[in-house]
Amino acid sequence: MGDYFSFDRFLVRIGQITPYVLVNFKMVFWAMLIGTICAIAVAILRLKKIPVIEQILIVFISYMRGTPLLVQMCVAYYGIPIVFGNLIYNAFGINLNRLDAIVFVIIAFILNEAAFLGEIFRGAILSVPTVQTEAGLSIGMTRLQILFRIVLPQAINVAIPQYGVDLIGVFHNTALAFTLGVLDMMSRARTLGVSTGHTLEGFVVVAIIYIIISLILKALFYLLEKKFQYGRR
Amino acid sequence: MIELKNVKKKFGNNEVLHDVSLSVNDGEVVVLLGPSGSGKTTFLRCINFLERADAGILKFDEEEIDLKRAKKKQILDIRRNSAFVFQNYGLFNNKTALQNIMEGLVVVQKRSKEEARKIALDSLEWVGLKDKADYYPSQLSGGQQQRVGIARAVALNPKFILFDEPTSALDPELVGETLSVIKKVAKKGITMIIVTHEMSFAQEVADRVIFMDGGVVVEEGAPDEVFYKPKEERTKKFLARILQKDMYYI
Repeated sequence: MGDYFSFDRFLVRIGQITPYVLVNFKMVFWAMLIGTICAIAVAILRLKKIPVIEQILIVFISYMRGTPLLVQMCVAYYGIPIVFGNLIYNAFGINLNRLDAIVFVIIAFILNEAAFLGEIFRGAILSVPTVQTEAGLSIGMTRLQILFRIVLPQAINVAIPQYGVDLIGVFHNTALAFTLGVLDMMSRARTLGVSTGHTLEGFVVVAIIYIIISLILKALFYLLEKKFQYGRR
Repeated sequence: MIELKNVKKKFGNNEVLHDVSLSVNDGEVVVLLGPSGSGKTTFLRCINFLERADAGILKFDEEEIDLKRAKKKQILDIRRNSAFVFQNYGLFNNKTALQNIMEGLVVVQKRSKEEARKIALDSLEWVGLKDKADYYPSQLSGGQQQRVGIARAVALNPKFILFDEPTSALDPELVGETLSVIKKVAKKGITMIIVTHEMSFAQEVADRVIFMDGGVVVEEGAPDEVFYKPKEERTKKFLARILQKDMYYI
């Protein structure tokens, strides 16, 4: 088999690569935090069916769903400084060309999540039967009370499993970020591989970290899902 | 007293209500009968603005409200004085039986949680479901859900209750328990307007029967009159069809 894989090097790689998972976490954290807020806005705006805004959102969503994430990242990385560079420099004195690549990767994730999660949330809200709203109206509740006390709690129940799948997907997709020069697990595994000539161990470590964390996330969402079942089994 | 005058409603080109008027005295139980598509349910839904009528006037508590132009406050006022029992129960799926009843008492009537809880438990007991207080709707049978729905309506202490085919989504063996609870509500003296296809129940519970067809009131009167001595041809035909259907059940 030759000297392609050694257990000792594998153990060394664990220590060398694991700390970099924090960089991937950082991308997931900001992508999900701001992405979720944007997605709620997208879902509500689409449900309100405001002319012009609705068409813009439809185009935006079909761009996000119709193009690979890697392409979106490249467009954000190379496009945003060209389009908004001068504007932001004049307004805030920030030179976008000097900004870390991770910022653009996170922006790409946020936009992508705004579209994908937006559709998940919209579907979840639409899945709540109209009679739930009518029942609230009939006892004299206001629309806002119904939204927060009746519709959203039931929509959450529908959205949680899909949100979990999406979150794990985002975590996996952070593996693309190294292509733009973000120093994460993948990039670390690659540099170690190039500098030592032993590539495989590093990527095996990355794969194992991805699996373990995905399983943990899956379990967490399973528990969360159970909490919102309202008596259903 | 609730008075409805000249209520009209179209869905697109389909005129569902063609000038319907009705007045209901305090404590009176009125049953709306008629073939499906005759506008009964739409009429009921127009009364508490689940459907916005195209024209018509609602007179309630000395106040005259234009059904088409009613303001938010007027609509809330009507809804807070009335309750609606839905065909498919309309229980809040994310709340237990007890919480379903408490919701309106706490959120709308601003009662304290303890007080609401007490009222809710009393009214669950009243429909014979005190032991199901902590069950979610998905854990209850259709008949039980509808009884909770009725308990929720009654607990709010409304001036009138609207029933929209309260038993037509139920399995035949669950219809009886629900009807007997509605009869209990009638005995309380609450004003009720009921849309139903249960003829013998209608005959028993109604003070007055209204027969609707094609978006108009065809005939109205005491139950015995309408059932046994219908004047209009359309009423006779409808009753003949319905009674025939009842025969099949037997």
